[in-house]
Amino acid sequence: MCLNSPVPEVIRSPKVYDVVVIGSGAGGGTAVQVLTGKGIEVALLEAGPMLDPERDYKEHMLPHHVDHRGAGVGGAHYFGKQPWGFFRAPNGAWELEGEPYTVAPGSDFRWFRSRILGGRTNHYGRISLRFADYDFLPYSMDGLGTDWPITYEDLAPYYDKAESFIGVTGSIEGIRSAPDGIFQPCPPPKAHEHLIKQACTRMGLPCIPMRRAVITRPLNGRAACHYCGQCGRGCITASNYASSQVQILPALKTGKLKIFDLAMAREILSDEDGRVRAVSYIDKKTRTERQIRCRVVVLAASACESTRLLLNSRSSRFPQGLSNNSGVVGRFLMDTVGLGIQGYVPALEGMPRYDTDGFSGGHVYSPWWEWDKKNKDFPRGYHIEIGGGFGMPGVGSFQGQVNRIGGYGRELKGRIRKEYGAFVSFAGRGEMIPNNLSYCELDPVTVDKWGIPVLRFHFKWSDYEWKQARHMERTFVDLIETMGGKVLGHRSPQVDGKGISVPGTIIHELGTARMGNDPRSSALNQYCQGHEVPNLFVADAAPFVSNPDKNPTLTITALAWRTSDYIAEEMRKGHV
Amino acid sequence: MSEPGGRQANEVSRRVLLQRIAMAVASTGVLDLRAAQHVHKAVSQEKQRTGEYTPQCFNAGEYETLQRLSELMIPADDHSGSALDAGAPEFIDVLSNENEELARIFISGIFWLDREMGRRQASRFKDASEGEQTRLLDDLAAAADGSEEALQGSSAGVEYAGFKDYTARADRRLGPGARFFVWARRLIVDAFYTSPLGFEDVGYKGNQYLTEYEVPQEAIDYVMKRSPLGTA
Repeated sequence: MCLNSPVPEVIRSPKVYDVVVIGSGAGGGTAVQVLTGKGIEVALLEAGPMLDPERDYKEHMLPHHVDHRGAGVGGAHYFGKQPWGFFRAPNGAWELEGEPYTVAPGSDFRWFRSRILGGRTNHYGRISLRFADYDFLPYSMDGLGTDWPITYEDLAPYYDKAESFIGVTGSIEGIRSAPDGIFQPCPPPKAHEHLIKQACTRMGLPCIPMRRAVITRPLNGRAACHYCGQCGRGCITASNYASSQVQILPALKTGKLKIFDLAMAREILSDEDGRVRAVSYIDKKTRTERQIRCRVVVLAASACESTRLLLNSRSSRFPQGLSNNSGVVGRFLMDTVGLGIQGYVPALEGMPRYDTDGFSGGHVYSPWWEWDKKNKDFPRGYHIEIGGGFGMPGVGSFQGQVNRIGGYGRELKGRIRKEYGAFVSFAGRGEMIPNNLSYCELDPVTVDKWGIPVLRFHFKWSDYEWKQARHMERTFVDLIETMGGKVLGHRSPQVDGKGISVPGTIIHELGTARMGNDPRSSALNQYCQGHEVPNLFVADAAPFVSNPDKNPTLTITALAWRTSDYIAEEMRKGHV
Repeated sequence: MSEPGGRQANEVSRRVLLQRIAMAVASTGVLDLRAAQHVHKAVSQEKQRTGEYTPQCFNAGEYETLQRLSELMIPADDHSGSALDAGAPEFIDVLSNENEELARIFISGIFWLDREMGRRQASRFKDASEGEQTRLLDDLAAAADGSEEALQGSSAGVEYAGFKDYTARADRRLGPGARFFVWARRLIVDAFYTSPLGFEDVGYKGNQYLTEYEVPQEAIDYVMKRSPLGTA
């Protein structure tokens, strides 16, 4: 589309912003924080509404505070319409009204999207793991995939900055698969975690304090964690990292940030010299198309949403979509390999009751331990996340148990009480190798309610992932049995995938606009800058070249920080 | 029957919440003001129950049946009250009033229970003796448990394996009743354990404001002494 085309209903901003950031999650939030901190004027587009933590977060609500006890109006929970629970931080879902995506026949993929300031950082697990040095060199290590254009040393200073600013717990361990960082103290292991640690030691697995973006000491005016255990509902004291509270709302005080909420980016507009000049978006409040002019665009709408925008930004100069002369945009889609198993551990029966909430999730985890083992039957590896304790009873909490115990009445009630807190769970989070059958593209016929073409997903796990999942299964069964426990089963949603997570459901989808040194095989250079479009940058997980067994958010933050520093420097020099 | 748990429980939880704020402020002086406001809002959203609940969806007979089912499914014992005390019938009524499909499940299920009891005892379910009521529920539990029906309907903790050898005991004639039994048990169990009574029954102690998180040595010792790996 040409900027000067006479479309009368389009409303163009008279103002030219330095930077338009599209998307307000970990990447967008970091870009906003870093750029406004350097005095750069930023317009932030968010497809959802503004966040009001006081209204939207429910971390201290108990089920009985609402008549429906958390089942949702009309018992939505019982009809599968509320898979993440009523109390969860707002506005993320597997299906968004009027904003579909499609999945090609024979493929399986689910896409969790958020539409609110802060995006998925409002509710995510906050596990914050640095990639290891070898994670940047996967091809050099085993001949699979592609090496990154940057090394651990390039990113390490930005891991330092990210951890120092957002706050991450942890301990200095000296384990190569889990590089140390700048940590706040982690709260102590819970009683069942002492037992799990003992079983890990017996089996030769490391089990170390969790690295989580929760502050246990005050930081930058944020109060320390108060251990209510409900991080997933959002944190009213901003004691965990959410880009909304930790980066974006504070950035408003600089006077350099203007937020456009309910603004659905439609297309990035470029001119004949190959530079982007404006972003076209739908103002959802008025259903009108508007344009914001800018010097630089930072795409951070989440890997696949950013990819969709690139593919939808076609012009005579960029017929395959923006920054896609290589044709790689949409390719190399990866999620994390997931598998979870639950066990019942008699040693935990009748444990003295205490508050096991702590910060949300396990206080310990196991980093990958066979990174240097050569003759495994699958490449790469996984880390183990640990669950257990006396969790807050909620709608559905005891249904698995009820189904297993059966019956009703006094005996059922007694068994539930006896077994409460005696369950443990292990979840593997492992690395997928990118493959040619896993990608996304524009659906040839389907558009969303704003008329924007939607994504169609193709996805296949390969034998590498299936074999890794079997390794997880054996390890978790061994752990449970080493503790004297009984294996109960896979945890949903892995059941649907019959022994491996349904693609997309670990919500680590990434890699679809990868970075690289060669413009023929990558969309972005090592600063996540378009090879062909010098004033276009991507700051989410789309630039990732591989998807190591470390949850991606900390690396999104570090990489976005590095990209933002580069943008500021290039702007200062007048290069963009 | 009125709901003895109701008002008293609300007062307890309000007091507890206010104590948490006071404690957190006194011990750290740094509790975010917004956190305090948040708790106040949570409290204001609590139900203001002042007396007997008036069913919105179910008629008197249906509601009495739900009350009886609640007492039978999760009865009072040495530890705590029943699901009736925990407001299960009200919970089911509130949800069903907003959801025709759920209302249909419960109304048709209660019809089925009454017809089956009529076949056995010439009485409605709610008017039968406790022995007859439990005999019917035992039959339905036997028909339901281990069936696909029992395995469905929960978004968390779905079980696998171990079930592949179950023998389908479902008596076809009892099928609709077994299906209803699973629905009723599911909602009654949830109503009980999400109530203050249920929290107390299992001993949930979390969701507090703490300045430091500590694990009692007593709990660690308890577990490690029972560890099959020996004390370490």
